[in-house]
Amino acid sequence: MTSKSFIACERERFKNLEKLQLPYWMKKFGIGIAILAFLALFVNKFTADVPEFSMGVKYALLVGLLFISVSRDKIEDELITKLRMQSYTFAFVMGVVFTLVQPFVNFFVDDLIKPGSGLIKDTGDFEVLWMLLTVQVFSFEMLKRFYR
Amino acid sequence: MKNCLKVERAILNLTQDELAKKIGVSRQTINSIEKNRYVPSTILALKLSQIFNKPVNELFILEEGD
Repeated sequence: MTSKSFIACERERFKNLEKLQLPYWMKKFGIGIAILAFLALFVNKFTADVPEFSMGVKYALLVGLLFISVSRDKIEDELITKLRMQSYTFAFVMGVVFTLVQPFVNFFVDDLIKPGSGLIKDTGDFEVLWMLLTVQVFSFEMLKRFYR
Repeated sequence: MKNCLKVERAILNLTQDELAKKIGVSRQTINSIEKNRYVPSTILALKLSQIFNKPVNELFILEEGD
């Protein structure tokens, strides 16, 4: 394989990645999963508070949000693609800022409530992914409203 | 950049929705272009030029600062 055809092959692969989107109905399915998971998480927190159940529901919540995030819109045109990219950029930056700042916020809040008890802990995977996905989904919907 | 899409659409007696369907975009996209909130791609500009039978640079006019 020559270097030129290798580059062409890579380009084609990246082009195919652009089409990697779920159908529109998956968005509704994702919303359903996310709402149910959120309610289950809420109910579990104030009743039995089973950690294993909570973990499973958190995964379901992330899957639901991922479905919403990567599903096509009713009409997926170039404006929607542009807004989608903007929302991903915003979510990425917010995610990085959140990951960097959150441990210190936790530390200072802990220290305020119980002086001397504050510990600097890493932000958990769930928190980071939850933040990324919710910021992307909500900023995308907000951007769409601005352009309406 | 300004454009005369609204005028051209009125001449052809097309609604935003009808125009959007003709070129395969959403009504919101047409509305955003008309209100100068969104600059379309070359492909979309050429599609619009085909519909209105006018050159692209007559539909979209550069302004100072562009």
